[in-house]
Amino acid sequence: MTTANDVLAALQSAFPGAIEEAKVAPERQLWATVKPDRIVDVCKYLRDNHSFDHYSGAAGVDRINEGLFEVTELLASHGAHQVVALLKVKTPRDNPSVKSLTGLYWNANWYEREIWEMLGINFEGHPELYPLLLSDGLVGAWPWRKDFKGYPDYTTAERAIEMVNPEGYTDYSFPPTEAEIKAGTVPFERPEYPTFREREEMEIKGESEMILHMGPQHAVVPGPFLLDILVDGERVKKAFLDVGYIHKGIEKIMENRAYQQGIPITDRLCYMAALTNNEAYCGAVERLLGIEAPERAQYIRMILEELSRIQSHLLGTAEFLTLIASAVFSPFLYMIIDREDVLTCIESVTGARINHSFVRFGGVRNDLPDGFKDMTLDTLKMVRQKTEEYKELFLSDSIYNKRMEGVGVLSPSDARRLGVSGPPLRASDTPYDMRREDPYLLYKDMDFDVITRKEGDSRARVEVRLDEIFESCYIIEQCLDQIPDGPIMAEGLPKKIKPEPGEAYYRVEDHRGEMGFFVVSDGSDKPVKVKARGPVYAYFQALPPLLEGVYIADVVAIAGSMDACTSEVDR
Amino acid sequence: MGISDVIPLPVAVDKELEKWTIWGRPLTDVWFTTTEKIHEIIEMGPIKNVLNWGRKNSLWFLMQPMGCCGVEMLVFGCPHYDCDRFGIFPRATPRQVDVMIISGYITRKYLPAIKNLWEQIPEPKWVMAIGECAISGGPFYDSYNIINDTSKFFPIDVFIPGCPPRPEKFIEGFRNLQEKIKQREDKRGY
Repeated sequence: MTTANDVLAALQSAFPGAIEEAKVAPERQLWATVKPDRIVDVCKYLRDNHSFDHYSGAAGVDRINEGLFEVTELLASHGAHQVVALLKVKTPRDNPSVKSLTGLYWNANWYEREIWEMLGINFEGHPELYPLLLSDGLVGAWPWRKDFKGYPDYTTAERAIEMVNPEGYTDYSFPPTEAEIKAGTVPFERPEYPTFREREEMEIKGESEMILHMGPQHAVVPGPFLLDILVDGERVKKAFLDVGYIHKGIEKIMENRAYQQGIPITDRLCYMAALTNNEAYCGAVERLLGIEAPERAQYIRMILEELSRIQSHLLGTAEFLTLIASAVFSPFLYMIIDREDVLTCIESVTGARINHSFVRFGGVRNDLPDGFKDMTLDTLKMVRQKTEEYKELFLSDSIYNKRMEGVGVLSPSDARRLGVSGPPLRASDTPYDMRREDPYLLYKDMDFDVITRKEGDSRARVEVRLDEIFESCYIIEQCLDQIPDGPIMAEGLPKKIKPEPGEAYYRVEDHRGEMGFFVVSDGSDKPVKVKARGPVYAYFQALPPLLEGVYIADVVAIAGSMDACTSEVDR
Repeated sequence: MGISDVIPLPVAVDKELEKWTIWGRPLTDVWFTTTEKIHEIIEMGPIKNVLNWGRKNSLWFLMQPMGCCGVEMLVFGCPHYDCDRFGIFPRATPRQVDVMIISGYITRKYLPAIKNLWEQIPEPKWVMAIGECAISGGPFYDSYNIINDTSKFFPIDVFIPGCPPRPEKFIEGFRNLQEKIKQREDKRGY
C-alpha cells in the first residue's frame, strides 16, 4: 500500500525544487507547498502515476499579514491508497492569480469559481469564471477577504430599496453600508461576465427549443435552488443550475467567532447531518489541539452518528418517493413515523431534534441516559423490520422499477470523474466509504459491509440508502455491546481554546458522502479559515451533465435520487 | 335608476323602497351594487364572522422549506403531529394557499423570489415567520447576505421562536393565527 511518505519521496525526486515545506502529519496526510508555475504538472503527475483521481476540493485562505493568498488543493484516491495530498499554492495579494486545474479534474470547476467570487483570485485557464453563490450585487466586493468592509452587517433589511424590474416583478437593491462608503470600497470593480439568464439564452439554438424553470421554490426538497432545463420536445438538451439562494456566509461567520461558537454554526450547515458536521469540525480542531476524545465519548459519537444516518436516509428516501409520484405517498408517511422514533432516541441524549451541538472538542456534552440501550435496541428492531417492509413495498413493485431502472445511470468511471461520493458513488460500483477509507473514531474495530450496487441508476441509489440502514443498525448494536465505562471529556482542556498555528483537515462519512473540514489557525482564539467540503456540493455539480438527454419526467427522479440538501451547497 | 326599471313594480312601491335602508345605506345602493360594495357591506355586518370562521378552519399553507425549520415543517404535515385535524394542509403552489410560512433565512438573492411567491397568493392571505432566522437573522444575524428583519417586507401575524421550533410550536402558532382571525386582529384586517 502506498503511504504518504512514498508519495512525498516520489514527488521530491520528480520535481526537484518545486516542492517546499513538505511534511506528513498525521499519517496518511501529505502537506506540501508547490511553486505556482508547477502546480498543474504536479497534480498531473500525481493523478497519472499515483492514482490521485479524486479531486476533493479547494480552499482559499487570506493571509493578510503576509500579503498572500493561499489556495489549498485537496487530492485523494478512489480506493487505490489512503493518502490525502494537500497542496498549497501561494499568490501575492495584489493581482492574485493561480493556474486552474479544470483541465485535469472536471469537478474543480465549482470550487475554483467559489474561490474566485469570494476572494477574487483569478484562475488562469478556467472556462467559466462566473459567480456561483453570490447575487450579482455582491460580486466584486470579495466578501471572504479579511479587509471586506461589509461584515458585520446589521442593516441589510433597513437598506433595501424596493423597485420593479423590467419584467414587472418586485426586485431589491442594496446600497452600500456606511463602513463601505467610509472605506471607499464602493462602487466595486465589477468583473464583466454574462448573467445567468444571458448564459442560458445563448444556448437556445432552434425554434423548437425552450427553457423550463424549476424552482427556486420546491415543495419537498429542503432548500431553494433554481434548475433550468433547455428542452427540445420531451428531451432535455442542457441543464443549468443556479444555487446560492440560501447562502449565509457560514465560513465568514465562523472566522469571526471563537472556536467553540463554531459548533452551533456547523449544525446549520446541513440540518439532516448535524451530528456528522459537528464531528468533522470538532475532529479537525482536535487535530489542531493534538487531543483525542476518550474511548467512551468516541462510542457515544458513533452511536449517535449512525442513528442520525438512519433518520437521514429515511427522510431522504421519503422525500424522493414524494417527488417521483404521489402513488407512493404512503411510504413517505410511514418513514416519517419511523424517523420520529429514531429522533426520540437521539433526543433522549442530545436534547434536540435537529440541531444538536452535541459533539465537543475532546468529547461529548453529556453521557447516555438510563435505559438508552433498551430503548435503542427496541427502536432498531422496529426500524429493521420496517425497512424490510419498504423494500418489499416499492423496490419489488413493477411500476416503480419500470420508472426507475436505467434512469440517470452513472457509470463507475463517470461517477469518479464527476466527483460524487456517498450513496450515489457506491451505487456505481465503487466501494468508497470514509469509515473504511480514512477510518475515524473507532470504525476500524467495527464489523460492517460497504454497500455497493452495480447498476448506478436511480433505483440503485435508493436501494443503497435502504441497505445502509441495516448496516447502521448493526454498527449501533456492536457499539452498545462494547461501550466501556469512563470519562466522556478529555481532561486539561482550557475554556478558551487557542490552538498552535497550523492547519488540519479531517474528513468523515456524512450521510450523503464525504464531508471534510479544513481549519487554519494562527494561534489566536478565532480560526483564520474554516472550509467545509460538503458532499451535496459535488452532487449538485454533477447534476447538469447527468440530466443531459433524459426525458423531462425523469429530471425529478434523477435529482431526487441524489438526496439533495441545498443548505450545505450554499453554506 | 330605480328598482322599477329592472323589475316591473308599481311606481309607488319603488318610491317606498328608495326610503328603505340597510345598515345606514339606501337599499337601492345595495341592489345595484358591485362586488366591492358587497364586500364593504360584509365587512360591516356579522356575516364576516361566519366567513372568518370558515377561513380559520381551512388554513392551507405553502410548502416552501428553506432551512432547518423546513424539515420540521415537513414533519408537521405528517402523522404524529398531523396538522390535517385542524384543517391545515400543506400545498405545493402559492396559487392554492392561504398562509405563507417563512421557514428560514431570507438572503439577498432569495428576497425577490419570496416576495413574488407572496404576491402570487390570492387574498385572503396571512404570513408566519418561523424560527430565529426568519425573525431576526438568528445565528447569521451579522452576515453580509442575510435579511435580518423580515417584518419589514411582510405583514407577519405570528412569530414562532426556536432554532428550529418543535412541530408542537407550529401547532401553537397556527392556533394563535386562528384566534387572531377569529378576533379580526390580523395585520391585513380580514
